[in-house]
Amino acid sequence: MSHRLLMPWITPRGLGRVGWTLVLALLAAPAAAHAQPRPTRPDAPRHFAITGARIVTGAGQVITDVTVFLDNGVITAVGRNVRVPEGAWIVDATGKTVYPGLIDALTDLGHPPARSARPAASPMGPFGPQAQIDPSNYSWGPEDRPGTHSATTAADGIDKADARIGQWRNAGFTTVVSTLDDGLVTGQAAILDLGDYERGRGMVVATPVAMRLKLQDRTYMGYPQSLMGSFAYLKQLYLDAQYYDRAWKAYEADPKGKERPEWDGTLEPIRDQLGSQYPVLFPAADRKEILRAIATAKVMGVKPIVYGAQSAYQAADVLKEAATPVVVSLDWPTPPRNGDPEATPALETLRFWDRAPTTPAELQKAGVVFAFSSGGITSASDILGNARKAVALGLSKDAALQAFTMTPARMMGVSDRLGSVEVGKIANLVVATGDLFDEGTRIETVFVDGDRFDVPEETAATRGPRGQRGAGADSAKAATTPVEMTANTGPYRSDAVTLIRNATVMTASHGDLTNADVLMRNGKIAAVGADLQAPNGAHVVDGTGKYVTPGIIDSHSHIAADAINEGSVNVSSMVTIRDVINPGDPSVYRALAGGVTIANVYHGSANPIGGGNAVLKLRWGSDAFDMLMAGTQEDIKFALGENVKRDRNPDRYPATRMGAQDVIRQAFLQADAYRQVWDAWNAGDHKGVEPRRDLTLEPLADILRGKRWMHVHAYRADEMLQVMRLSEEFNAHVRSFEHGLEGYKIADELAAHGAGVSTFSDWWAYKVEAYDAIPYNAALMEERGVLVSINSDSEEEMRHLNQEAAKAMKWGGMSEDNALNLVTINPAKQLGIDDRTGSLDVGKDADVVVWDGNPLSMFSKPLQTYVDGVLYFDRDLDRERQAALEKEKAALLERYGGQRGDSRAAPDRVAPRAGKEVIR
Amino acid sequence: MKRTSSMIRGAVGALGVLLAILLLATVAQAQTYAITGGTIHTLAGRTFVGTVVVRDGRIVEAGPDVQAPAGAEVVDATGKHVYPGMFDAGSEIGLTEVGAVDVTNDSQEQGDFKPHLQTATAIHPATEHIPVARANGITHTMALPQGGIIAGQASLIGLDGWTVEEMDIDPGAAMVINFPSLRARGRGYGGFGGASQRSFADTERRYQEQVASLDEWMEGGRMYAKARAAGEAGPNLEMEAMAKVVDREMPVLLAANGERDIRHAVEWAEKQNIRYVITGGSEAWKIADWLAEHHVQIILGASQTMPAGPDEEYDEAYANAGKLYAAGVKIAFATFNSSDVRTLPYEAAMTVPYGLPREAALEGVMKNAAEMLGLGDRMGTIEPGKIANLIVTDGDPLEIQTQVLDLFILGRQVSTDNKHKALYEKYRARPKEKVIS
Repeated sequence: MSHRLLMPWITPRGLGRVGWTLVLALLAAPAAAHAQPRPTRPDAPRHFAITGARIVTGAGQVITDVTVFLDNGVITAVGRNVRVPEGAWIVDATGKTVYPGLIDALTDLGHPPARSARPAASPMGPFGPQAQIDPSNYSWGPEDRPGTHSATTAADGIDKADARIGQWRNAGFTTVVSTLDDGLVTGQAAILDLGDYERGRGMVVATPVAMRLKLQDRTYMGYPQSLMGSFAYLKQLYLDAQYYDRAWKAYEADPKGKERPEWDGTLEPIRDQLGSQYPVLFPAADRKEILRAIATAKVMGVKPIVYGAQSAYQAADVLKEAATPVVVSLDWPTPPRNGDPEATPALETLRFWDRAPTTPAELQKAGVVFAFSSGGITSASDILGNARKAVALGLSKDAALQAFTMTPARMMGVSDRLGSVEVGKIANLVVATGDLFDEGTRIETVFVDGDRFDVPEETAATRGPRGQRGAGADSAKAATTPVEMTANTGPYRSDAVTLIRNATVMTASHGDLTNADVLMRNGKIAAVGADLQAPNGAHVVDGTGKYVTPGIIDSHSHIAADAINEGSVNVSSMVTIRDVINPGDPSVYRALAGGVTIANVYHGSANPIGGGNAVLKLRWGSDAFDMLMAGTQEDIKFALGENVKRDRNPDRYPATRMGAQDVIRQAFLQADAYRQVWDAWNAGDHKGVEPRRDLTLEPLADILRGKRWMHVHAYRADEMLQVMRLSEEFNAHVRSFEHGLEGYKIADELAAHGAGVSTFSDWWAYKVEAYDAIPYNAALMEERGVLVSINSDSEEEMRHLNQEAAKAMKWGGMSEDNALNLVTINPAKQLGIDDRTGSLDVGKDADVVVWDGNPLSMFSKPLQTYVDGVLYFDRDLDRERQAALEKEKAALLERYGGQRGDSRAAPDRVAPRAGKEVIR
Repeated sequence: MKRTSSMIRGAVGALGVLLAILLLATVAQAQTYAITGGTIHTLAGRTFVGTVVVRDGRIVEAGPDVQAPAGAEVVDATGKHVYPGMFDAGSEIGLTEVGAVDVTNDSQEQGDFKPHLQTATAIHPATEHIPVARANGITHTMALPQGGIIAGQASLIGLDGWTVEEMDIDPGAAMVINFPSLRARGRGYGGFGGASQRSFADTERRYQEQVASLDEWMEGGRMYAKARAAGEAGPNLEMEAMAKVVDREMPVLLAANGERDIRHAVEWAEKQNIRYVITGGSEAWKIADWLAEHHVQIILGASQTMPAGPDEEYDEAYANAGKLYAAGVKIAFATFNSSDVRTLPYEAAMTVPYGLPREAALEGVMKNAAEMLGLGDRMGTIEPGKIANLIVTDGDPLEIQTQVLDLFILGRQVSTDNKHKALYEKYRARPKEKVIS
């Protein structure tokens, strides 16, 4: 650890290592004795003149042979004819380069992780080890403010003994953005200068400069337990702060006769934040997550700074568009050591290793504002080393410097005092032997707040990127360009007009047509019939001997979602799958290869009232919001029976079917009151303050308004009947029962209510409530007038729903037409999209599958799948794409071959059985 | 039911009783059946329109010109098809009733080495799963023990019988060994995005320990066999079972799925000089030629399965069987399930559009597994002398819409009635409800 230079007339080199040790020991002695501290430094003027230097100001200029004068911590002069007062320390920087002090834009410096704080043996939660189950620390909803440390600031409680302070300073960092690390809201970020002060608070330059958020936290149990819960919670928290502000303003304006709003220490600082509009630091690694962060922050009413962002190269356009700044972690990924020598990392993992360091260059190219942070780097010298790697991959040195200086200063609102070598700014400087981004450059001296720190030679930042961390060092030098990427997503063709000729066309609305044609134009079905003319430029597909059907619609799926259940609470209607759509899930493409064009993705069945659904068009390669079928209702998934009532720790109501019905009834009663309040407000009855938005009750109130439907996971006939009657009490509507394996027992009641059933073809006996399941269910219900569909609830089963539909022909004698309807027009009706898709009718979306035989046979397979007239699956083109991907992967493996072995990414599935609905 | 007590009475009393259960069963009923007029798919090289005669549990005649014997019960199959009954070469039927209810599950005993346990001692003859499975043409199965390294002995049962003795074909038909895997287990998350993971060295160490244990059990079986022959070994149930494995008397169902795991399992089996069949084999296609060179036979698990990793071709599992077949590897199919046993034909059929010839798929659910397990002389085809496990259908049994009209198990004509059909008929007959409100 270097020390603030107290006797600058003695150069460190002159003193030698032994001498320094002596000096340090002497200086340290009084503290060790626990005596009242005495001054440890002379109270001499802190005047430094750095002369003869080449200065990279960080404000766009490079000036040579100038003097920089530092007066008591402030830069007071930069120029050729600077008057240096008597008694100033002269630092001869001839031949050296002076830079503004570097800023690490996101750290927890000053707050070293307390390793003992977490219990050694922790139960595994969805994000890894969780806090010990402590019912008193269990969060039962947003009102418990789980992991919300908004009132704490990293400016408080700074641990001066954090060894990283000196290490970072020696690496050229004069300043860090420091944050605490625990919580969903970890607290207020502070700017700290890495000087040596009597008290930690001396380091603080500014606070609060940002509120740091995380999406996973282990310091509490309970809500939110899932990623979608975290999003819902953050939105509710900020909406609550807005309401809090309204309520207190109204109260303080005239408290007489009013009930006092509840004081909330977690909302106070957020209220302040919303008032002064300082940003949130929002974690996001890649395009998918960056889009989520931007969308969520919008609802929260705050400006986001995205951090982490190592794969932000994928999202330069959206970041630019949204003018969202980024803090890129320089902790580039490297192949793990001790891996399985035969395991092959996933292409995605290999690409991550290869592409992450290109992110800064890509952001620069796109004009995105970005700063650098050390991320998880533990060896300070790696920070600049890793930045050099980005420079080697095309980032300009100037942009790299900006990312360490002015950009973070601007982001955090302190560019008036930090970030450049300019008169009036804080005297934070780095004196280096050459260009900071050249290999071999040594940082000799660092000034922090006008105090001089000479860098001991042995710790100087001269090492290459990740010198000793095994992987990457050699390959990094060799790999100046990343391996070319093959498109593994996206359409194979997107013709404006496609004509499929001379096929057997199963329309799902008006029977089968033989030797018929299907014309698709601009995403819609333009014509279905015999001898259609191919317009100019149409792509013509020979359908001879083939079958054409509408795209298969899976009305109950859990693919393409990064979370399924928010089971911590019995009512989780605040969460929605829409917040966690993962458009890159390979299951999307595999479903297309099974003829599926639409998947309705549901919340799981862990609680009586689950969350919002997402009807996805499987536009492989699109962003989440583009995959979402426009204009679809966001319905709520409910659940009954065994999944809901099973044992949990801590106990969660309900434990019986009685309780499950009760939870729903009580929630509807609350939602009804909420609905009345808001309906009155929206009708213009503005008495008092605008009511609080409650994201849990909002969708339920919509159900009572008839604007959303209930889809209820249920197996047993009795509980289906009960919940239909319950919904009727509230004039609500069960649009579909999900699974409904005993639906055949109450087919007449279902038909009378108008509840559809989306069932399995032949699964049974995997649990008690599935013991009376029969494969005749679909046929029997259909016979008695129930709208029936067959769903998969499984990424595998969804790939052959055509076969599952055929089972209704075998078990119960359903007609071929009706069987096909089970997976096309019927699920479309249950989802309320039958006016747009589900059958081959003119004007509907061109969601079309070409099969090599009758799709209700075991011996047929899809050859082509079109969504909106765009070809997303083609059996032949698939082979070509796969070959190209294998080639790319081989090239990547060659580059990272010596290091391969990523047991995280390695497949670990041993012939999984057909997935039974259990937890989902 | 006649028992031919073959050996070692007394010394290995309890085991002896089980081992003794009829290798050549004589079925209680002495009924004679003549299935006439159907297209007989013998799977022994001939398909013809003709008659099959069944007597005393056996096929006694099958041919185009065979006449129904006097007194035989005639089953008219005119316009229909007659096939060998389907063989689920690995299932849990009778060993589990309701998956989620532990107390109804009897397939997995504690411990890693349980070679003496036989599933026949736990099979529940009255399970609802059996009538459901056979209604789709599954007539017999290997009921597998689960868990550990030496899981125990699979029992070969016919899917009909008032008692397990009536169902029994061979209680100790094969030893089930789950070959140790080198796949790393256990994942975790560290702070700030890092991952903590078990190092490969740890996984390798554990693997080697497990293989060493397995070797020790095999060696134990050899020593025991010698000592017993010399009269120097007392009764030991576990060792008695292992002795049969090392003596090549009992085949081994050797479970392995990953490419490397399969290689290791095959190399181990060759070193041990045992009779074996690989089960699972989900990545076998990757080394199809190597497997063919080594004459490896595989009982594949469900083909309707997702690819093993994100980069695998979408049809990896569908195409596995076809690739193995093309390379010359003998394959059969199993569900490794209980309630899904009836879907066996679809697991095979799924591979047809992805490369397996239709005939090979049929053989994979009717004939091949019997041959692999050394039962080819007793079952798997429609030939005189074979156990009379037969189905009469209105079409290709691999096709969903095909109905199984009649079936014969161990020579007995068996109903296709089951719980599902009964519930269907009951609720179909529910009077039209007067709907309230």
